[in-house]
Amino acid sequence: MNNRSRKDSAAIKAPASAKPGRNAYSYFPGCSLTGSAGEYDASFRLTSEALGIRLDEISDWNCCGASPAPHHWSGNLGVLLPARNLHIASGEHEAMVAPCAGCYNRLKNAQHELTGSQELREQAARVLQEPVRYEIEILNLVELFAREVSPEALAERAQGRLAGLNLATYYGCLLTRPAKIMNFDNHRNPVSMKPLLRATGAQSDHFPFKSECCGSYMGLAKKEIVLRASRRVIEVAAGLGFDAIVTACPLCHQNLDLRQGQINKAFGTSLDMPVLYYSQVLGLALGLGSDDLGIDAHAISARKLLAKIGKGDDGPAAATRSAPAATRPTPEATRSAPAEQTRPAAGKSAAGS
Amino acid sequence: MAILVSSTVADGAAVVAEIERRSGERVSACYQCGRCTSTCTGSFVFDYPPHRIMRLLQLGQVDEVLNSRTAQLCFDCMTCSTRCPMNIDVANVIEHAKMIADERGIEGDEKDVRLFRLAFLQNVRRHGRLHEARLLTWINLRSFKPFNDLELVPLILRKKKIHIVPPRIRNRRQLHRIFREVNSGDKS
Repeated sequence: MNNRSRKDSAAIKAPASAKPGRNAYSYFPGCSLTGSAGEYDASFRLTSEALGIRLDEISDWNCCGASPAPHHWSGNLGVLLPARNLHIASGEHEAMVAPCAGCYNRLKNAQHELTGSQELREQAARVLQEPVRYEIEILNLVELFAREVSPEALAERAQGRLAGLNLATYYGCLLTRPAKIMNFDNHRNPVSMKPLLRATGAQSDHFPFKSECCGSYMGLAKKEIVLRASRRVIEVAAGLGFDAIVTACPLCHQNLDLRQGQINKAFGTSLDMPVLYYSQVLGLALGLGSDDLGIDAHAISARKLLAKIGKGDDGPAAATRSAPAATRPTPEATRSAPAEQTRPAAGKSAAGS
Repeated sequence: MAILVSSTVADGAAVVAEIERRSGERVSACYQCGRCTSTCTGSFVFDYPPHRIMRLLQLGQVDEVLNSRTAQLCFDCMTCSTRCPMNIDVANVIEHAKMIADERGIEGDEKDVRLFRLAFLQNVRRHGRLHEARLLTWINLRSFKPFNDLELVPLILRKKKIHIVPPRIRNRRQLHRIFREVNSGDKS
């Protein structure tokens, strides 16, 4: 028991990254997205809807156990908590998406361990009181969008809306590591956000700190780790002239954005770097409203960035800001083709595939 | 760099073998290039940087490893593992050292980190999902740092980043069975 080898990955089927989109997915929001990272959830749902991707929230999902679970009450808690979610999701769809990098990591780890251990499967079956199903394909949000929308299709709909921005892609740790289990992108130099970001019209230069750690979950217990690690990431991005850091992890976001003020206080710096979720950036490119995407929910204001793409307070959108979200006419709406304004309720849009 | 010899050799060898068996990593493959340490996010607060943990294990000095601040504080960012030229998952080795330390009831000096992990899991055990407000309150009270992160609270409230009512799952029976299952001492 407790054999949590990361080496033996032969049993896991390598996901074929070129698989065609499936259009409908089980959705595992996880605790952060229903709490402190509500804007990640909102922007993910809106952007998916705009791209014709159907998300069905997994019924009665539970916490994946995050980083603390594998350490306590034997390592198996870190498998059994996600196993329940895998089991429920496997009965609903062929593939699931977990936008939180931590949840994604735990779910894939659990799947790996269940695949390799009869004993764990029996333990899971005892808990669930039926044989455990765990073979659902697990995707992160970057992977999902890469599969569901081609850069060409996005470019056509984005019409260069984000031109003028230079966005730093930040992957952090949990999307790609350990490489043998995550089996996603190049763990030394991940690049999978770049094609779609560039399709928005934005520039996305090489960000050398893209897979440095932000300090992980140490924010409450050992804050100096987070402040130091996140400061390095933000400072490098600022020094290279990026307009924003783009992330796909709520914990990275919390450390880089919410704690940026603490960093400035601790080190006497004056960092002012907006941190956006990948789904927010794609949403902006599709012409969705920045309020709906929750750009305002961040500690570091993205006003300057929005002004650069004509959505700031000085921009033409300011006059219509107080209008209700559903009816608000944005300058984007007038620029884009009429077909794009009605979000497809179901079925795949032309931009899919 | 002096490495004190204080573990009994027999116990040391057995624990190292156990770490190798559970993790699937070969500790002996490390040739001390130090790349892990050069990229380590947390080494500035560790007592032994990752390459020295590997060396201690090669020498069977497990007491030093199990009692180290490194084993208590390493948060598994796995940057070291990404850089190792011998493809050793160094973080995985430290992770298993941490679990063995835990099983042996070694608490160490870094009580807040342990407290955080426990608080997190108790929170999940109760409702099935994390209630962030409760976690922050609980850990601040238990670690006697009531004002920790208090300056973030107005921001968190203004940006509506918090649940007042705890989220909870319906099938808490299943949840309780999970926690009972791992508490039943299945640690072989």
